[in-house]
Amino acid sequence: MAKYLIKRFLYMIFVFFIVSILMFAITKAVPGDPALKMVNPNLASTDPARYQIALEEARESLGLDQPLPIQYIKWMGNTLTGNFGFSIQYKKPVIDVVGTPMLNTVALNLFSLILVFAITIPLGIISAVKKRSVFDQAVQVGSIIGYSLPVFVTAFVFIFLFALKLPIFPISGTATPGSDYTGLAKFGDYMYHMALPLIVSTFCSLGGILRYVRAAMIDALREDYIRTARAKGLREKVVIYSHAFRNALIPIVTIITSWFVSIFGGSVVIESIFLWNGLGNTLLSALRNLDSALYMAMMMFYVVITLLGNLLMDIAYCIADPRVKLQ
Amino acid sequence: MSEKKKRTGSFTLTLRRLFGMKEKETDILKEEQMQSPFRTIVRNYVENKVAMFGLIVFILIFATVFIGSAIWPLDVNYQDLTQQNVSPGFNMMSIPSGLKNNAQDVSVGSIFAVGVDRDGKLYQWGKLTDKLKKMPDDSQTYVQVSAGLDHAIALTSEGKVVTWGNDRLGLANIPFEVKDATDIKQILAGYQMSFVVTESGNLYYWGNENALTISVDPELQGNIDKVVVNLTTAFVLTKDQRVVMLSNSTTPFANIPEEIQGNVIDIAANDRAVAAVTEDGQVHVWGTNDYGLFDVPEAAQGTTAALAGGRFHFTALTTDNTVVSWGNDIYGQASAPHLTDAASIEAGYFQSYAIDADGHLTGWGLKGYLFGTDHYGRDVAMRMLAGGRMTMTIGAIAVIISTIIGVIVGGISGYYGGWVDNLLMRFAEIVMSLPFLPLAIVLSAIVGNRLSELGRISMIMVILGLLSWPSLARLIRAQVLSAREQEYVTAAKAMGIREFTLIFRHILPNVITVVIVNTTLAFASCLLTESSLSFIGFGVIEPSPTWGNMLNSAQSSDVIANYWWRWVFPSIALSLAVISINLIGDGMRDAIDPKSNER
Repeated sequence: MAKYLIKRFLYMIFVFFIVSILMFAITKAVPGDPALKMVNPNLASTDPARYQIALEEARESLGLDQPLPIQYIKWMGNTLTGNFGFSIQYKKPVIDVVGTPMLNTVALNLFSLILVFAITIPLGIISAVKKRSVFDQAVQVGSIIGYSLPVFVTAFVFIFLFALKLPIFPISGTATPGSDYTGLAKFGDYMYHMALPLIVSTFCSLGGILRYVRAAMIDALREDYIRTARAKGLREKVVIYSHAFRNALIPIVTIITSWFVSIFGGSVVIESIFLWNGLGNTLLSALRNLDSALYMAMMMFYVVITLLGNLLMDIAYCIADPRVKLQ
Repeated sequence: MSEKKKRTGSFTLTLRRLFGMKEKETDILKEEQMQSPFRTIVRNYVENKVAMFGLIVFILIFATVFIGSAIWPLDVNYQDLTQQNVSPGFNMMSIPSGLKNNAQDVSVGSIFAVGVDRDGKLYQWGKLTDKLKKMPDDSQTYVQVSAGLDHAIALTSEGKVVTWGNDRLGLANIPFEVKDATDIKQILAGYQMSFVVTESGNLYYWGNENALTISVDPELQGNIDKVVVNLTTAFVLTKDQRVVMLSNSTTPFANIPEEIQGNVIDIAANDRAVAAVTEDGQVHVWGTNDYGLFDVPEAAQGTTAALAGGRFHFTALTTDNTVVSWGNDIYGQASAPHLTDAASIEAGYFQSYAIDADGHLTGWGLKGYLFGTDHYGRDVAMRMLAGGRMTMTIGAIAVIISTIIGVIVGGISGYYGGWVDNLLMRFAEIVMSLPFLPLAIVLSAIVGNRLSELGRISMIMVILGLLSWPSLARLIRAQVLSAREQEYVTAAKAMGIREFTLIFRHILPNVITVVIVNTTLAFASCLLTESSLSFIGFGVIEPSPTWGNMLNSAQSSDVIANYWWRWVFPSIALSLAVISINLIGDGMRDAIDPKSNER
């Protein structure tokens, strides 16, 4: 296991560098000179010579005068030591920009995760136990529809119903504008604003997870030990909830783990519709404004998250099911 | 001859097999024969009602989108500011029954029309705004009406002018000269402007003077007979039968032919050209020659008595009481019906009306839009057809790219194993660990800005294809790995078959079912990904439509609440397409592997 982990870890580092080179190359392909944004354009007409000097200086300060490999090494060195650069859009270091959005994204996804599993586990169990019943078939078709519906369509429908026709929830933002709540009232306001994005993101995840839980449960119910348990004359409730469900939890736990990591990722579409100040929205605005330091840092963050997610899933699988051996 | 017969026989047999029908029962032995796996799959699929429903829905959507967009090609750059946010429905020409056979005067507004009957009662129909619905006092009797972009004016029998509809931009401020006048001859509601001509030959106008910058020469006042306007300028017909343009500009509208001056009996203007008819019935057109506006039909040339202009068409009334229309005919506004006793005509925007001697009112032209229009006045239904074709094409090509890469990589990796397998699978893992949506956004934001429209669309297909093959490759690899150990492969190898043939003729057909199911499901997810990308503005961008970017402009609570047709219809189309494809994929998986249904 330890050997596997080390191997896996080294491999992750390798992938990280490959992807970072790829990302760096893409960013360098961006048309336009970022140094131009740092120099006062009026200078060009009034004093061309000084403008040229200022431009050179700006290039030098950004390190653009050096060959690409050296630029890459410098950037990578800075990134690895925690210096992610300076966001030209927010006029702040990148590390200060992403703090609040990350908290918002984690909060939204964490609540959504709890809700999704609170709904899908009981539903999945019932539909697996009553396989091929009307209920099961309704759940099956419903879950196909659920995971087929585009996120933004669901979002529009919920906005239309619960924010416009029945004005229960606010449409966008993370807090009531102009309010200065403190303590519990602030938290309440925050949750109130989270309601719609939370409902939408939960609704959109239900279908896929529901099918997964159902399949895991059906697999567990087919095992020999279930037959044994029934043969012993155990009550059906005990068979299902004690014997089958515990074993069905193994694949479910692994999927929760992989999800737990993607909690940090954030949904670009949901966050942009509800103007939820999260990581997805930050990435979008960084891209719209060609804020390269910010989106490069975020992309590398996403890559690390994905790689960590895969690793964590393997480990979780191994812990949850002792029969699995990692090699 | 007999050969031909045989061929048709085998063809119908194939068809029957394809649709899983039973072959004719010959004898009991034959019935007990085994079914080919393919036929079992088809039969299983056909018996699955949900999956068949999905297949039928998808075929319907696919056929509508591809055939529809071929029949009605979309001009992606077409915009019409006068047709913004029109609600769906075909009531723009549903003339009220009270007016139908008793009409005195009608006038066409942008998306509505007003009319007055011979008893002086006002009517309006079409898409009415809340302000338009507040019609003026019905105790008055009216004699003339005129409709503009979003307001209307009417003249009472006592010579008073009333205005309703949009009351901003100074449209409600009727000048004192008009209020006091008792000899009003013509009223005209234009684009955010209202005009009045008096019997004494004076022209008064009020409204948004920034929309139409015109000025009337003081020498002209007292000599004006009729005024016509379009969205950019205005013309008057003087009492001495000359045509004068009311704005100083060098547009083609200013090229008034000299030879007609002093001889004109009627004029009409649309937004591309102006037409004038002289005493000998000849029609002269100047301006811009779009939609064949300069090609006056022979039926009208030399016999015209009166003219009317819409937005891109003209309608003429001839001396023998027939009507002729020409110009843009996309809504049938230039396809005049055959009338023999028309007494007066009226045209505006995309409709024309004719009133005959008995007051019978006939209309032709735009009836409405099936799914309404968007904020640029573009027909949502037409954009949905073209957008659906774009969405499906992008999804299909992306899936084809990813399937080809996936099959090749997975096949090679599974068949050869060893270091090739290791290398390819590591590579697949690297691609898999790229965060999909963020990377696609970055690529289309950075590379896409430099490309043409077509280049951008192809780039999206390629990005989607290049980033989604690894899962298929893994699946194929697993399938090939297990197939490699089967006896038939060993037998084929023993027979000395070339490796290429072995892989593609022997192993591939045995894993193809998995490929088909996976491709179907991947197609659905490609549709979703493309729509999401276009929705957030990093996929296909305007003016090319896709179902995703049509929803992009609907992202405000105002649109969601008030212009529901702009998001409801594209949403339904996209959702139905994805759901039906997923149902098909699911049904196919169950049909191929009945055990999967047990799970």
